[in-house]
Amino acid sequence: MAENVNPVVLPADVAILAAQNEANQAPSQKLPPGEWLKKNLFSTPGNSIVTIIVGAIAAAALFFAARWVIDSDFQIVRTNLRSFMIGQFPRDELWRPWASAYVLLAGIGLTSGALARSSYELSVSQELPAEKESILGLARRFWGIIAVMIFFVSFARTVLPFIGLAGAFALVIVAREVGWRLPASVRRSAAFIGASLVVISTLVLSGTSHLGGLVLGLIAFIWVLREVGRRDLPAGITGIAMRVAPALLAAIVVYVIQRAIPHEGFGWEDWGGLHITLFTTVVGITLGMPFGILLALGRRSDLPVLKTVSVLFIEFVRGVPLISLLLASGLLLPLFLPVDFDRPADLTLAIVVIMFFSAAYIAEIVRGGLQAVPKGQTEAAQASGMSAASVQRLIVLPQALRAVIPAMVGQFIALFKDTSLLSIIGILEFLRVSDTSNAQPEFVGKGLAGVTYLFVALGYWAFAYTLSKESRRLELKLGVGTR
Amino acid sequence: MSDNMTINADATQVGGNGNVMIDVTNMDKFFGDFQALTNINMKVGEQEVVVVIGPSGSGKSTLIRCINRLERHDRGSIIVDGVELSDDIKAIQNIRRETGMVFQSFNLFPHLTVLENITLAPRNVRNIPKAEAEATAMELLERVKIPDQAHKFPGQMSGGQQQRVAIARSLAMKPKVILFDEPTSALDPEMIKEVLDTMKDLANEGMTMICVTHEMGFAREVADRVVFMADGEIVEVGTPEHFFTNPQEDRTRLFLSQIL
Repeated sequence: MAENVNPVVLPADVAILAAQNEANQAPSQKLPPGEWLKKNLFSTPGNSIVTIIVGAIAAAALFFAARWVIDSDFQIVRTNLRSFMIGQFPRDELWRPWASAYVLLAGIGLTSGALARSSYELSVSQELPAEKESILGLARRFWGIIAVMIFFVSFARTVLPFIGLAGAFALVIVAREVGWRLPASVRRSAAFIGASLVVISTLVLSGTSHLGGLVLGLIAFIWVLREVGRRDLPAGITGIAMRVAPALLAAIVVYVIQRAIPHEGFGWEDWGGLHITLFTTVVGITLGMPFGILLALGRRSDLPVLKTVSVLFIEFVRGVPLISLLLASGLLLPLFLPVDFDRPADLTLAIVVIMFFSAAYIAEIVRGGLQAVPKGQTEAAQASGMSAASVQRLIVLPQALRAVIPAMVGQFIALFKDTSLLSIIGILEFLRVSDTSNAQPEFVGKGLAGVTYLFVALGYWAFAYTLSKESRRLELKLGVGTR
Repeated sequence: MSDNMTINADATQVGGNGNVMIDVTNMDKFFGDFQALTNINMKVGEQEVVVVIGPSGSGKSTLIRCINRLERHDRGSIIVDGVELSDDIKAIQNIRRETGMVFQSFNLFPHLTVLENITLAPRNVRNIPKAEAEATAMELLERVKIPDQAHKFPGQMSGGQQQRVAIARSLAMKPKVILFDEPTSALDPEMIKEVLDTMKDLANEGMTMICVTHEMGFAREVADRVVFMADGEIVEVGTPEHFFTNPQEDRTRLFLSQIL
């Protein structure tokens, strides 16, 4: 009977489960190297043979790889380093990518520091062991990205990128520290502060108003949703005003900032390289997420129209390859727009497609999470008189989303790699820079594709590996997969 | 009352202070082709404690789940505190607001603390300010004797504690009646008493209650009326003394002989 109580063990909170899981883990035993070898690699004759064969193959592979790397000429990477990072972005506007990256990193540091502090406070209030993560701990978590970034910068021909990178690391650490020390009332808005900095970062880079308006609208929307959820505000007109005012204020502030940034008449057609790869991934998944959640709810809806539309959309998008959607976007999407409407940039279309694509996959992931929430949860909430919308928003969705975080990160990684398909519709993303570099007069026909592909692969690997490691860490914290 | 019974026993004699709180008339309920409840007639008076007993699958839980519309009844009428249950969602929500429910599997919200579990519905449904809702919640936690657990999550508590939180959660809405759906069936034996004691306190304070339970000791001690159900029908109704000393129906006698 007791097992009936919680058919799906849903985490009370990340911090708590983390602490509980750590307490449950047995301390690992350290053996001296000699004994470790004996125990793990040469315990039986069969094991010894396997060890020797696999060891030999690995050593040979490593040897040939090392010789190939040493023999190769990396001049092509040195020449094109900037292109790999930012594509064809105007070279006399280089302050923009740097400033943009700095604002972004400040946002990430601030938000993560504030979130870490909140989680820490929660653990303390629960009388569970809690510890502030050291800089060394952070470095260990993100060593893949850090190492590859240092490797990339080592191809630079001036000292400036080194200083820039060191400054970036320092900035993240300082911002994280500031976020950690923010007063609790400000910490509550950490996500909003972080998101605002992301918008500012984007605006610095683009200078275009359309994009700024789009992202700004989204942020304001999220803010309004959050404020609507607050119960300590009065009802009626005053309450509504108090809920809408912050969004309006945010809109005005960002608008003013945007006007203040000099606009040089270039748009995001000039973006490219690793930057556009990361940008499309993040925008695709953040815009796709709310849409995907709505689709998942729509698919479970009792209203036949909503349900059918959701199912059709999800199954259609999941049933065709991303590449076909990308190719079709250039032809099909403009057909749905007014005739006098300027044809959107390829990148705009691509982002819309990627958003729809990830929404369909996220919808199915979220649906799994929704189904995992026990029926008793809905019943208990309904029995207290809550409206259907409140039940979903306050009871079902929070539990469902928490249960699918690992799957969601998996989708994020998949999308990150899928953005390489943008090269096929002519967008100069990270992978395509490799091809354009090899087409340059001084490098054409020299068989250097291997070198550039290796370089690009390292870039993809750094982010995908770190994401997957972080996802596993989350999984462990949440206790998903254990028990 | 129940000599040669060809129709269902009538549970429409109102107890409590005489005011009718729940009025179920000629109610039928089907799950597909299966008839789960047949011609249920039952009235519950204000401040009355009605205990529903019967074998598994007799429709006890379905009956009380119909009263707050977690299940939709197919025929007959259910009137709670003067409001008739229909497909009108407003009426349903009004009734649910006044009707607390405690489940066998507690159904606390695992992602919220104890305090948040208790204050959620008052704040969301009744728009009570946070501070006031929390003050009420702390009083209720005192009442169920676990005020020190307010900031824990349900997963960190014992089953008995969780069920007492669930009772506090239903009380937070200041309901006129509370439905208990086998509240002690998922508990380890040593925790049953603490939950039953809480329920006894509630009954003594004059709360209107319908309890589906297998705890005969509780029924004997606390119930104003005992309703025995089998195969989706109300078979016999009476005071605890009548029930446990002088049951009239064969099925009642058989059931009691099996469990006592």
